[in-house]
Parts: sequence; structure tokens; C-alpha cells
Amino acid sequence: MPSSSSPSHSRLRLFRLPSILLLTLSIYLTTSWTIPTTLALDPSSPPPSPEHNEKAHLLRNFFGGRGKNDDAHGHGSGSGQGDGKVTSTHTNNWAVLVCSSRYWFNYRHMANALGMYRTVKRLGIPDSNIILMLADDAACNTRNKYPGTVYAEPNQHLDLYGENIEVDYRGYEVTVENFIRVLTGRMEESVPRSKRLLSDERSNIFVYMTGHGGNEFLKFQDNEEISAHDIADAFEQMHQKKRYNEIFFMIDTCQANTMYTKFYSPNVLATGSSVLGESSYSHEHDDDIGVAVIDAYTHFVLQFMEGINKTSHTTMQDLFQSYDPVAIKSHPGVRNDLFKRPLDQVRITDFFGGVSQAEVLLDQDGVVIRDAQNLEDVDEESDLGLNDQDEKITNSSSPKSSEEVVEEDSKSSIRRTRRMDEGKQQVGQAEKQGRMRSWSAIGVLVALGWFVHAKQKSSSSSLASRSGGGGKGQKRL
Amino acid sequence: MAKWRALFCLAACLYPSALAISTEQFDEELTIRPLPDGKVASTFRFTTLLQGATPRDPQSLGGDDVSQHYTVFPLALGQILREYAVTELHLSLNAGKWRYDRWGLPKELGVGTGAELWAWMGDTEVTSIDKRWKGLRNALAGLFCASLGSLDDLRTTSPVQTFQPEGDLPDWDSPHDVRHASLPSEHVCTENLTPFLKLLPCKSRSGIASLLNPHRLFDADWHGMGVHVLWREKEGVEVRLTFQSVSDPLRSGSRQKQDWSLHSLFGRSIERECPVAHSSRVLVALPQDQSYSITPEPPLVETEWAVFDTTKINMPLNTAMTWAQNFEFPTEFNGAPLTVKRTLRGTSQAYGQLSITVQNRLSSELPVLYLETMPWLVQFYLSTLKASIGGKPHALSNLTYIPAIPHSRPTTFQMLLTIPAKSDLEIVLDVNKAFLLYAEHPPDAQRGWDLPPAILTPLVPIANHSTGQLRIYTPTLLVDLATPDFSMPYNVIIFTCSLIAFLFGNVFNLLTRKFVIIRVGSDKTT
Repeated sequence: MPSSSSPSHSRLRLFRLPSILLLTLSIYLTTSWTIPTTLALDPSSPPPSPEHNEKAHLLRNFFGGRGKNDDAHGHGSGSGQGDGKVTSTHTNNWAVLVCSSRYWFNYRHMANALGMYRTVKRLGIPDSNIILMLADDAACNTRNKYPGTVYAEPNQHLDLYGENIEVDYRGYEVTVENFIRVLTGRMEESVPRSKRLLSDERSNIFVYMTGHGGNEFLKFQDNEEISAHDIADAFEQMHQKKRYNEIFFMIDTCQANTMYTKFYSPNVLATGSSVLGESSYSHEHDDDIGVAVIDAYTHFVLQFMEGINKTSHTTMQDLFQSYDPVAIKSHPGVRNDLFKRPLDQVRITDFFGGVSQAEVLLDQDGVVIRDAQNLEDVDEESDLGLNDQDEKITNSSSPKSSEEVVEEDSKSSIRRTRRMDEGKQQVGQAEKQGRMRSWSAIGVLVALGWFVHAKQKSSSSSLASRSGGGGKGQKRL
Repeated sequence: MAKWRALFCLAACLYPSALAISTEQFDEELTIRPLPDGKVASTFRFTTLLQGATPRDPQSLGGDDVSQHYTVFPLALGQILREYAVTELHLSLNAGKWRYDRWGLPKELGVGTGAELWAWMGDTEVTSIDKRWKGLRNALAGLFCASLGSLDDLRTTSPVQTFQPEGDLPDWDSPHDVRHASLPSEHVCTENLTPFLKLLPCKSRSGIASLLNPHRLFDADWHGMGVHVLWREKEGVEVRLTFQSVSDPLRSGSRQKQDWSLHSLFGRSIERECPVAHSSRVLVALPQDQSYSITPEPPLVETEWAVFDTTKINMPLNTAMTWAQNFEFPTEFNGAPLTVKRTLRGTSQAYGQLSITVQNRLSSELPVLYLETMPWLVQFYLSTLKASIGGKPHALSNLTYIPAIPHSRPTTFQMLLTIPAKSDLEIVLDVNKAFLLYAEHPPDAQRGWDLPPAILTPLVPIANHSTGQLRIYTPTLLVDLATPDFSMPYNVIIFTCSLIAFLFGNVFNLLTRKFVIIRVGSDKTT
């Protein structure tokens, strides 16, 4: 853990940057965001270098048209792009699914997490974007009458373990420390990619936790606890390190709603299974397996999710309205004061889905540019055998218009058409502005990249120094 | 002349590219063997040979590596091997206890319970072996969804004699060294099989690999997977992926017969061949002294083996074997010429005694190398080491002992046992059980700690096992260490804090407070 100067000191250092640079920067940032966009469209401009990843994310952010996360940028400007383009691209959705309970009698917690795993995978998030933490091995447990399987309902209809599963953290590796490390990305160098949450400021992250808990804590392995403050601080670190666009936090444990009361970072939507002083109960018991197989809250959430496919327009509002305290036997809660979008405009697939979109953009010469990120995701899915008929992307070599993008979902194709037109307008603007302007913009971009880089460095070090006074979990880092 | 020169130029141009493209060969094989105790052992072997390839010289680690273009060779594994310049690698993940006395020697030697990883790497100043070993562990942990990251320095040893390379070691300037670690508590489940299948060119969709059905494999009495990478100077780099299982046909249903079929063992049959396989064979061991029938009729019988070539046979293939008589459980087994029993005795949580009994059933003297790679949790009192045969003291030789360092290094203890013909050698050794720090206990500390198996290496060939070195694993042990009452520290902290607060408060009061006498009443008049 790096120890360095106090936060105030590093902030001061930032302001000592050449004022001219800041001035030019602010001018460019406030006048028009279209410049970087057009730059990216211009094949003559040099491709963004890997060390300027931050910059690349900024650019891609525009491609996606997801301009509302200005706070996540930490720049505060560019809000002009705002809410007009609240669309979901889900090219980069992540899921962190945690079952923190050990021992066979907690079978249902494994089933909870695996039920969520099945759902996010079914809706299109590839295994590479899912961090699954299971504190015990229920599937190959010697007490399991049906080896290699985990069922979430009596009579064993649907095997949640399946034949294609990747558990990233299991057994003793599921600790509070590892969970916070996954969220904050503070890993040892040799930790493989599959164990990392490689999200960026454009990622929507679904965090699901289940286990035994209480007022503002969740037990890990029946041995240690994570507190509500720990998760809140971890989310704040993620926010400052630009590791998410939006987080959807769901927790199923006793007194679960207390776990999200301490959150203070923006763009976090949270829901839990029960209020303070209330237990969350298991739902069904299987006589052959011999234990309860799922918790009530997760059962009803999963039941709701089963009706959703990749192109569904169902919103979070619908999910929250489906909560029935009588059936669940507890009072689920929702916290959306940190979340900016209205819930009836937030699709379930914004978090649970991983629908890839091919964006066919035309530059000045009429050459097709495809977002490399999307291509990658498509590959991932085909590997999983998840590229169902609702995910066909045809990409002809010489598309003349955006109608070339074929998708069954007519509404989203219309939406995309609109975006294409915007893209074209931006291209037109760039032509007017001329080449001199774009070269100067390159300079600014490089400076911006450096600036962001420096800022990130200093902010992470300031975080490190600050974490000493934070919650219990941070001390463990 | 000009023509020849042009030809020569062309050849010279083509030569490097021809060198870069090494041919790859993929072979798959399934061996099914009925066992004396009524069970059926199956061994899957998927071998990919990268002809003409050499392991990466660790001297080149600082610079750029050659590009890797494979067609059937698993890239995900190839990248790890190149990244950490691994010459030879063996990883096994097993569940259950291999019973040498009943089942004989396994086809693949690495049958120790839990995870075992050992690798040969060339030493270099660029990046040390230990640093690469750590990276390799973590990379494999990521690839195979296993907790191999926990194979840290607490479990890493370097037993050169027991883990001799299976292949060749390149003749680099720098010497090679081995690193070995085992994690006996590791589980094996579908999440380990999934990445394993992804390394195969046909995945589990066709060929013999389509039989790898997790629901049946993990139901087996014993199952284990292995990844073996080695280099043979004349052939190239070979990756051998193996899966072994021991199923019990007698367990399912009320049948008294040992009958099995591919479908009963794996829940599937081979529907189609793997098109990229150079050879694809199913071998079935034929019983010698019982009447049986096998379907379909084997096209080829090699001594005791029926051979089905899946590239030539009619699909789907569901090989089945039926017996005429009911199975009778044998009264005694004469499987292994060498058996070993290892137990940890004593009820104390501080001391114990390790007892090892090695039995030689051969009619000749047998020299065996015995290796313990014990974590520091159990420390040996070497002065108490006693060996005896039938009560008479027996000599041990060639002892190598690297004592454990608490909280960091495991013990490496190796000795040469010379066991006379048809006799039992008994070895006893007092041990000390460690007292752990509070934070060193696992979440289920009361369950105890799994100790890795000891490994025996016969120095002369036994049981017709001629190919290279033989390793026999003992079962793992469970040690019960002293565990605290985990809630006690909180009680102690709370109690101590209260006490300190009380004492400090009083002393502080006495020191800082100024005591004055205030007269009430007639003060103003004075």
C-alpha cells in the first residue's frame, strides 16, 4: 500500500499546473465536446495510446452517447450532452456476485448467487465480466446427493451449476479483503485478469451479495464481517478511480437494507431484502438435498428475471414494484437518492444485460468504423454459445446507411439510427472546423490525458493516505 | 546459373517462415480398465504436440517474445508458458484417495489428493525462478479457477530427486531448478473442468472429450484432472491434458454385475469424431479369467486391449461390456507391490507422532526414496526418528532435511529406505504441532488442517512400470491444531479496555483536578 502525502497537499499540487494549459483545456472542454469525437472518427489522427486510456474512455463515452455521467468524469463540464441521450449500450457491464457463507447448511446462499450468475449470463454478460465468489463448494460437496449440481427449487428442474461455469474466488479466497480488492482494483501485479474487475467509467456494475448479516454488517465465512461503511467507502474509491458509471447493489441477508444506508457515492442504486430488525427467510426446502434451497427475496427476484430477455424494455421500476412483502416475508427496500435517472427509465438490462451493439459509423471517406470493444464482446458471447437469434449483428462491408444494422428489436434500431445521424452531424462540424483545429485538439488531448493521469495518480495516493482513518475494512487493505 | 541463384534466394526467403510454422498434432485416447474391486477406471488423455518448438529461454525474458500462432495447441496455456519461461509443468487436481492396493498403479502418476503443481524452470538474472513461480501459480489459478494462488512460500519446496523432469531440459547456460507445492484441501469441481475443456481443440462437443460430463465425473469414487507440459528434444513441446476417474457400476441400481457402458459411466456416448484429431482411440482392457462380452465387436485386439478407432468406426460409439456372472468381491487384493500407511498419532494438540509403515511385497530388496514436504504446522523432532523391521532396528540412509521456518518455509525431508524382500518397515517420528497466530486460522479452524501426502519413489522399476520415474502418494493427513475461542479476543479487549479506562480515569482525575475547599455559608463576610 503506497503511503504518501495528505490529500490536501496533492490537490494543491494539481493547481500548480501551468495555468495556460488549464485555460486552453477548459475552453476546449466547455465549447464543444464534438472535437474529440470527430477526432476519433478521423482516420488521419493518431490512435490513442494505451497509457492514455482515460482519454480513450472519454472518447468512447461519446460514441455510446452516454453523456450523463459527468460526475463520474470528475471534470464537471460537458453536461451539454446531458440527459437527452440516456441510452443503454451495455458493452461493458460487469457483475460481482458474492456468496459469503460457508458450510453445507448454507446451500441456499450458494444457490442465490448462482441463480444471479445464471441470470446475468443468460442476459449476455460473458464469464470474463463476471466475478463470482463462492465461499464453499456446494456442487461437489460430499453431502450433495446430485454431484456437480446446485438447484434452487425442489424437484431439481433447473441445474444452476451447469456444465459451463467459472468461479473466480472460491473457498478460503472469499474474504472481506479480497472482495474490497476486487472492487477497488488494488491487486498484486500477478493476479490474473479473470480475478479482476476491469471496469471503467463507462461500466455498469451489478453487485450482488448474500450471506448471513445483521445491522450494517455481512458475515464472511462465519468468521469476519464487512460493514456497510466498508462497502460505501469501497464504492467511493471506485467512483474516484473512475471504475464505474453506475452501480446496482443488491443484497439478500437479514436486515439487508441497513447495508446500503452508508453509501454516499453518486450513481448508486441499491436494493435489499429486509428492513432493520427484520430477518430474511429461506423460501423452499428440498427433502432430497436436505436443506433449504433458496432465499425468498432472491427467489422472487429471479422469478421476475426469468421473464426478461436480452431485448426486454422492463425497467427497474417494474422490478421494485414486483416486490411483494407478504410473499417475501420481509420488506425489501430501494435506495435511489444517489441515482440520477428516474427508475422507470432504467432498464433491467442496463445492469443485467450485456447486449453487444455494433455501431456502424461513417467517416469522411465513407469507411466503416466499428467499435472494437463491441467486436470483442461478440466474440466472447459466441464462445459461450449465448449468441442467440436476438443478437444477430450483420455488418456488410459497405453500408450506405445506418439501416444496415439489423436487429429484431425495432425500437432500438430506430434509436440507433438517430445516433448515426448525430454522428454524421459531428463529422460535418469537424470538416468545417478544419485540420488546424483538430491538430491543436490533439495537443490538448495529450495534455488532457497527462492531466487525467496525473490527477488519478495523486487522487489514488490521497485515497491511500486517507483510508487509514476510514472503516474497518479499509484498514485490512 | 541465374535460375539456381533465384531459386536459392527464394528458398532463403521462405526458410524463416517455414521455421516459424511448426506443425501441430493432436491425439486423444480413452483407456477403460475394469478393476479387481468391481470399479471401472477410465483415463482420458489429450496430447497436443507442437513439433519442433522449444521452451522459452529465460534469458530472453526481458525482451519481446516470438509471436504465438497455434491452431490446436491451447493458446491460453501457451501464453502462460512463454510468459514465465516454463520448461516443464505438471498440475494435478484430484479428489478422493487413490487405493493402490486395490486399483494398482494409475495411468497418470499424479494422484495425490488436492492440488499439486510442480514446474522446472531455467534460472536467470532477468527474473528469478521464485518470482516466475509466483506468477505461474497465479496465472494457473486464474486459468483453472483453482486456489493455486495459495500455494505460496508456505508450501513451496524444491525436491529435485523425486520430481525429475519427464521430458528433456534444454542445454542453456543457466541451470534448471524445480518448484513444487501441494494444496491437499483443494476441491475439484465443474469450474475446474470448464477451463480444462476450453483448452481442447474440439472442446467437449465431439470426439472422446464429449464424454467428459461433469455430472457423472464428479459422481465418481475418485476423479482427477492433470495438465502436463514437457519438452522432448527430438519432438517438441507436448501438452498432455488428462482426466482420470474411478466409477462404481455396482453402486447404481440393484445389479450385481460389473457391467458398464460409455453411457452408464459418462451419461453420453461418442456421437461424432473430433475432425482435427490425428488419432482418436478408445482402449478397453479385456479381463483374462472371466467370461464377458463386449459390444460393438472391437475391430482390433492388441494383446489384452480392445481398440476402437473413432475415426474409422460407425458412430455413435457406445462401447459396453457385460459379464456372464455376478461380481464377487475378492477376499484379498494383490495389486501393489509397495504399499504405505502413514498416520498421525496422539491426542495432544501440541505434540504427536508420525508413523509410517512401508510394505514391500516383492521377493527382492527395494530401495525407495521417501519425501515429506510438510508445512511448518507440523515440525519434526528428527532425533526421535526410529526405523524398525519386526521390532529390530533398521538403518535409514541419505537423509536430507531442510527444517521448516515458522510462518514461512515448509520442511523438506527426504530419506532413502531400503526395504528387504517381503517385509514391513516401520518408521516413527515425534512431531510438534504449531501454535498459530490468531489471524492464521482458516474460517473453519475446528475442522483441522490438511497435510500434503508423502511421496515414495522406488529406485528400481516395479510392477512393469518402465516409463520413467514412479511416484506413489500416501493419503493426506488431517492435523488438529490448538484453536482459540475466536470470540475470546473481543472479550479480552472489552474487559481490558474497561479496566484501563477505569484506572486511567481515576489517575487522570487525581493528577489534573485541583481540589479546593469551598466554604458554604459565611464566606462572603470574611
